[in-house]
Amino acid sequence: MMKMLTICQAEMRKSHRHNFNNRLIYFSMFLWPIIQFINAYYAFKPFNLGQNSPLSRFVPVNKLGLFLITGCIAYIFFWSLVQSAWMMGYERQQGTLELILLTPASRTLIMFSRAAANLIEAVWMFSIFAILTIFFMGGLHIAHWWLLPFAVMVLLLSAVVWGGFLNTIFLFSRDAGFLYTLFEAPMEFFSGVRMPIMAFPIWAKVIAFVFPLTFVLTILRAIVMDGKTLGSICIPLIELAIILIALTAASFILVRYAEKHAKETGNLTFF
Amino acid sequence: MLEAKHLHKSYTLKEKNGWLSRRKQQIKAVNDLSLTIEKGEIIGLLGVNGAGKTTTIKMLSTLLAPTSGTISIDGINAVKQPELIKRRVNMIAGGERMLYWRLSARENLMYFGRLYGLNGNTLKQRCRALIDKVGLTEFADRPVERYSKGMKQRLQIARGLINDPDYLFLDEPTLGLDAPVARQLRVLVKSLAKEKNKGILLTSHYLEEVEELCDHVSIIEKGHLLLQGTPRRIIQTIVKDRSLIVVMKTLDKENWHWLKQETDKLGIHAQKKETNEGTRVDMKATFDMTSSFLALAQKRNLQLIRFDAKKPNLEDAIIRLTEVHD
Amino acid sequence: MWIAFSATFKRQLITMRRAYPWSFFIGHILDGVYITIFAYLSYHFIFQGQLNTQFVSYTGTSDYLSYVIMGGVFNSFAVSLLMIVSRMLINEMREGTLEALLLTPSSRLGYFLGAAIQGLMRSGIEWLAIICVGLFFGLNLVAAHLALLLPIMIVLCFALFAQALVLGGFMLAFRDTYITQNTLFVIMTLVSGVSFPPQFLPDWIQGLSLIMPLYYGLELMRSVMTHAAPSSDILYHLLSLSTLGILYFAIGLLFMKRMEKSVLEKHFG
Repeated sequence: MMKMLTICQAEMRKSHRHNFNNRLIYFSMFLWPIIQFINAYYAFKPFNLGQNSPLSRFVPVNKLGLFLITGCIAYIFFWSLVQSAWMMGYERQQGTLELILLTPASRTLIMFSRAAANLIEAVWMFSIFAILTIFFMGGLHIAHWWLLPFAVMVLLLSAVVWGGFLNTIFLFSRDAGFLYTLFEAPMEFFSGVRMPIMAFPIWAKVIAFVFPLTFVLTILRAIVMDGKTLGSICIPLIELAIILIALTAASFILVRYAEKHAKETGNLTFF
Repeated sequence: MLEAKHLHKSYTLKEKNGWLSRRKQQIKAVNDLSLTIEKGEIIGLLGVNGAGKTTTIKMLSTLLAPTSGTISIDGINAVKQPELIKRRVNMIAGGERMLYWRLSARENLMYFGRLYGLNGNTLKQRCRALIDKVGLTEFADRPVERYSKGMKQRLQIARGLINDPDYLFLDEPTLGLDAPVARQLRVLVKSLAKEKNKGILLTSHYLEEVEELCDHVSIIEKGHLLLQGTPRRIIQTIVKDRSLIVVMKTLDKENWHWLKQETDKLGIHAQKKETNEGTRVDMKATFDMTSSFLALAQKRNLQLIRFDAKKPNLEDAIIRLTEVHD
Repeated sequence: MWIAFSATFKRQLITMRRAYPWSFFIGHILDGVYITIFAYLSYHFIFQGQLNTQFVSYTGTSDYLSYVIMGGVFNSFAVSLLMIVSRMLINEMREGTLEALLLTPSSRLGYFLGAAIQGLMRSGIEWLAIICVGLFFGLNLVAAHLALLLPIMIVLCFALFAQALVLGGFMLAFRDTYITQNTLFVIMTLVSGVSFPPQFLPDWIQGLSLIMPLYYGLELMRSVMTHAAPSSDILYHLLSLSTLGILYFAIGLLFMKRMEKSVLEKHFG
């Protein structure tokens, strides 16, 4: 654990120096998401949002804003990690990635620390925006106050596991840009960021349950919108835990496999 | 004739200091530079990095507009009618830039040729001739990204000749090339001037290159002219200290005294040192002492193991020159 | 100008054949397809086909799916074309060929047009692919004012081309492609009536749609491909689009010229 903290600190310092002066983060992690949030909100406008709206079968119409902003904030957490994993492609091009892998630190640990370090850096701005928005919109309904930090912890933890997994995949893939395209939108789409997944047809639900974000969102919304207690959300919690453990295990196996491959062929990429 | 008179070029450099404030800074890249190039003549432009060589070339080739001063080529004003000038000049830079790597040599030349308004069979024939000339015939249809450095450089030359320019500007054309490739290139440059009657401006780091090729040389430093003349005169002026190192198996006391006396008479400063190679004599003078020393050695029949004549390199010489001027 | 045009067209064609930018290609198609699927799922599964009456009055149609799918199709088309043209010079700068290009006495306009027409081939394939997907998800094509399709397409392409010149100028000024292009694209997608009519937006944001060729393009394309709109509307939008195009064109050419100069100077420092 201490090791992880040290690497985490080092990564954080590096990415802070590296990205912070870079304007990219202000745009891709703040300005664009806000505009996209507005876009998502207005995309519902053409529909019947009156008292008798079919939407109210899944989400109360007056809580649509809250529904979308919780979706957005969780999505940003996950998406920032897709982006940071994507950046790893650049690190490989510059050759610094190989240097990192020369160090004796555990590979998987590096992957996860990297995810954790980049997360905080990337999401704080949009988080403030989201909190302010929620504050002005109102409509929060929470059973116990401590469930709120609990929800944030669940969000953070799953985002880091997801990010570590992505880092591992991107580490060994040749065309990260392509994976980025494939991962970015489907996650937004099928995890219920903008739409209640309960309304999905069965094929879309199957895709939805591939992404841990789906479960995170279910839990998050149950806590902040529906005032559910811990007991009533234990099923999605267990499901999420299983997925997270599976992802972690997959990352470990992948790193080991990839390194073995790299030693034999001298080539880091294999898919 | 290409004539540049009193060229000035200054850049405004904006530097960030702090969050929003920016400091403006004026940088004079070229400061009152005048030069002329006749057809069939090779002019050398020498200077250390950042002396303003590239800026000068970019101004002559109409890529940059001078802050003040005039450039005229065969009576055409380059600042006012850049389109006309562009047809008559071309520029070749060292390194691997200025080519489309995904295209083959032929496709590159065809593309640039069309941008010069060439077309049809004329263009095809010219491309073929140029590819042959620079020795890329075998590789003409291979994408440039698979070329070696030397091949890319040769293709650059072909690109520079695609519009059959009257004046050609070469910016460090031999940078990073192997000695044999560089030699080939020098032969080509010489023939372009002497046989095809093109006016050529050449910038270089290498004194030898300039000495071999150029009819006239200008040395610039911090954008202004330090010295102008034939390479011979320039070298005489700036190359003040030459050194000669000679190693002999033995050198007895008598011979050493005699040698010391004789060299002193000639104005050569000599010093003796015993090394495990033999006896080493270091000599310094302001002129080329090779022939005088060899005459002395023959007189006493001295057996030489090693004979090393050294000129100071251009950078040292220019730096010394600027120190004098400051 | 013609020679520079055809030369650049051929060069781009060769480059495309050798190294096809697959990830951009797939990305653009997927962007359009996602908008389509989103609309499909929302319409059928969440809202059971129930629309807001305002939507009908704003758009003149109750065919929501065709409305949004057309939005997705042309949004991708616009993004693709804008990217291809605007990134030309900055790519030359990054690859180190900018100086060799500017050394030639060729027409810059011909150069850009050559790139644009070649790019149209690529964007056109993407466009067709999204339309085909859209047909499965409820895109209803009707041929109203079919004779106007070609002139509208030409004017739209011209206006997008002109907008790309301005965008390219900004890219050169900021030495950046990613941030500059995507900032434009998120705003463009929001205000141009891609997945909802801009009339829903607050007035001050809605105003932005008036400077987006995509907005007029969408209005026009919908009125000739999915539902018949009154000819007076078509004429009005076509005129506005042309005017906007000419305006962008003038600004873009001047801006590019300026930026070319400053790029060469700053290269030194």
